[in-house]
Amino acid sequence: MTTASVTANEQYNYEVIRKFAIMTLVWAVVGMLVGVYIAFELAFPVLNFDIPYITFGRLRPVHTGAVIFGFGGSILFATSYYIVQRTCQARLFSDGLANFTFWGWQAIIVLAALNHVLGFSQGREYAEMNWQIDILIAIVWVAYIVNFVGTLMKRKESHIYVANWFFIAFLLAVALLHIFNNLAIPVSLTSPYSYSLFAGAQDAMTQWWYGHNAVGFYLTAAFLGMMYYFVPKQAGRPVYSYRLSIVHFWALIFMYMWAGTHHLHWTAIPDWTSTLAATFSIMLLLPSWGGMINGIMTLSGAWDKLRTDPVMRFLIVSLSFYGMSTFEGPMMSLKDVNALSHYTDWTVGHVHSGALGWVAMISFGALYHMVPKLWNTRMYSDKLINVHFWLATIGILLYITAMWISGIMQGLMWRAFDDFGNLQYSFVESVAAMHPFYVMRGIGGVFFLTGVLVMCYNMAKTIRQGKVEPAGAVPAAA
Amino acid sequence: MSDNASKNTTGHVWDEDLAELTNPLPNWWLWAFYITIIFSVVYWIIYPAWPMGKSFTKGMGNTITYVNNKGETKTTHWNMRAKLMKETNEAVAAQKPWFDKVAATPFEEISKNAELMQFVQSAGKTLFSENCAACHMAGGQGKLGLAPNLVDDSWIFGGTYEKIQETITIGRHGIMPPKGGSQINDEQIAQVANYVLSLSGEPHDAEAAKAGDAIFHGEGMCAACHGPDAKGIPEMGSANLTDKIWLWADVPGAPDQVAKVKAVSEVITNGLSRGKMPAWGGRLSPEQIKVLTVYVHDTLGGGK
Repeated sequence: MTTASVTANEQYNYEVIRKFAIMTLVWAVVGMLVGVYIAFELAFPVLNFDIPYITFGRLRPVHTGAVIFGFGGSILFATSYYIVQRTCQARLFSDGLANFTFWGWQAIIVLAALNHVLGFSQGREYAEMNWQIDILIAIVWVAYIVNFVGTLMKRKESHIYVANWFFIAFLLAVALLHIFNNLAIPVSLTSPYSYSLFAGAQDAMTQWWYGHNAVGFYLTAAFLGMMYYFVPKQAGRPVYSYRLSIVHFWALIFMYMWAGTHHLHWTAIPDWTSTLAATFSIMLLLPSWGGMINGIMTLSGAWDKLRTDPVMRFLIVSLSFYGMSTFEGPMMSLKDVNALSHYTDWTVGHVHSGALGWVAMISFGALYHMVPKLWNTRMYSDKLINVHFWLATIGILLYITAMWISGIMQGLMWRAFDDFGNLQYSFVESVAAMHPFYVMRGIGGVFFLTGVLVMCYNMAKTIRQGKVEPAGAVPAAA
Repeated sequence: MSDNASKNTTGHVWDEDLAELTNPLPNWWLWAFYITIIFSVVYWIIYPAWPMGKSFTKGMGNTITYVNNKGETKTTHWNMRAKLMKETNEAVAAQKPWFDKVAATPFEEISKNAELMQFVQSAGKTLFSENCAACHMAGGQGKLGLAPNLVDDSWIFGGTYEKIQETITIGRHGIMPPKGGSQINDEQIAQVANYVLSLSGEPHDAEAAKAGDAIFHGEGMCAACHGPDAKGIPEMGSANLTDKIWLWADVPGAPDQVAKVKAVSEVITNGLSRGKMPAWGGRLSPEQIKVLTVYVHDTLGGGK
């Protein structure tokens, strides 16, 4: 149980993790700034300024790309490289491949953003990148898999830690999803355009098989991997139940793959696909909650840490939002609920309670735990972590409350009939009714973004003070 | 961590202090999971669910009877299309007496029948919002440079019930040839513009307007369509130039006399072909168009 006294800096490749950690902060600011801007564009369309490059349609994939692939991707690379090395007590399989994944991944985000601003998109949600960028993603991803699995194979402890199972599932599933969703025939070798290999309802179902499992394996499984390392580590306590971790892992990855078609309820798809998607989504509820229970129960007996440790607060609140949105999701996948919620802001609110509440919050917790260790120092200010926590929490609550009200109101207005059986409201009346909630959503975004800026300041100070201390001066491990 | 040793862990330790306890699955978790599985199985029995070769399980005790587009009554297993048809059948049947009554009642009688007018206002608002508001705006106030105001009493193609009905059914396309088809020069155009502005009391150059009057009624050929009194001819869809209503030349928005003359001159120079309203005859039923006609005439503001 006692490790050798070699400093972590020599034992592990921390260099690439530091780079990914810094880019996590950069993409968080970029992606969320764009998000706040387009939120206000929806409330005040004049903010388009009639400039095509900054219209909502072009900036929306820039926002989703920068937050999911830029911010989310960078923190996943950083934490998976950190966790796999530390839980295997082995240096990364290849420093060269690690660097390749870093530069390759950053190039992908930048290229994709430039493409979208210039008006190019293949029109597949969360996979808008042109086919050339898709190929680059596949190459970088394979390098990532080789590097991760190669490191696992060098492990000193024969059992693979649970966090690493989740990362393996994430790596394999994303490769599968990315490649099949993007199968296309290019118009020519120099053209950014291509034709999808699928047509009609099959194409739609392929897109949502990808879209939903991107949520399942990228934004859920991989972040559960993070959770399984940082929650017990920060709490200094063992994971609550080994058995639960196994059962919910296999149930989760088995159920998720069936559920994507619930994004297409009440459209031109076979009825049986709709039913299967709804029922598998319902059966997905408890496997999803397994991770939440395991995380929160890990803290059982040490609840006082929630009062004393701001990092723990991020981690546990993220699990609460995870539990809430994985309850909301199955409910929305029921056909009758979906008939109300589909195409409304409720969907947008649901996504953001997962994206801001779960994905971003657990990433912040992981960063606050990991960055001081990477730079051999302590966080510059615990007080500022607390400020960030409250700004983020208020921001999320404003955001999702606004979208719940706006979304349910939209859904009810669209289906309201008067005594004569005529629609009570025109579409444009529902748009006008949403305005105050769009403003409220934008303000929620400003809160969340401000919190991120506070974190960046805190991190910059931390990293600066870390650099002045000679490496190895402070004991590496916690 | 030392206190881990005292607990029941799996015996594996990673990264110095990471361990897992051997706690069993929480009972409530396990039972809730079973309940979701039972729920799903019941769902599969009732609704179409599992693919079987080229077919699929159809669901039990859950049929839908509806009337299809050919008027045939069909009974099928539960499916989205049949559900939509059935609900549409019911909604159409509920509204049919009202539409029949509108169809059988002359325009003037409809506006006197308070109950029928309630239906017209309800159905008319929906029809107007979904079909007309995109150009004429939600309140029918129109938009300069796009579509005429329907709330006022000025009607380019006529504001009687019959004319409004005709306009909606076959659509309209207002055309004015450049310079009215004449050969007048820029100076003459400016003179005509001054004359046109003088008709509605806008700022103008009196001398130029006098010269414009002569051109309007002579060489410029303007009077041929707009009429000798410049009040427009509804049969031709030519505009009344003597009121203060402007659809194409932004006279109200022009800050001064020079800009106003320029705005009118531009319309004269280039002519007009933009004012095209599509025909709704093929998209809406005659009853719907009749409802819309009464709505536009009575609720928004019909005229002569």
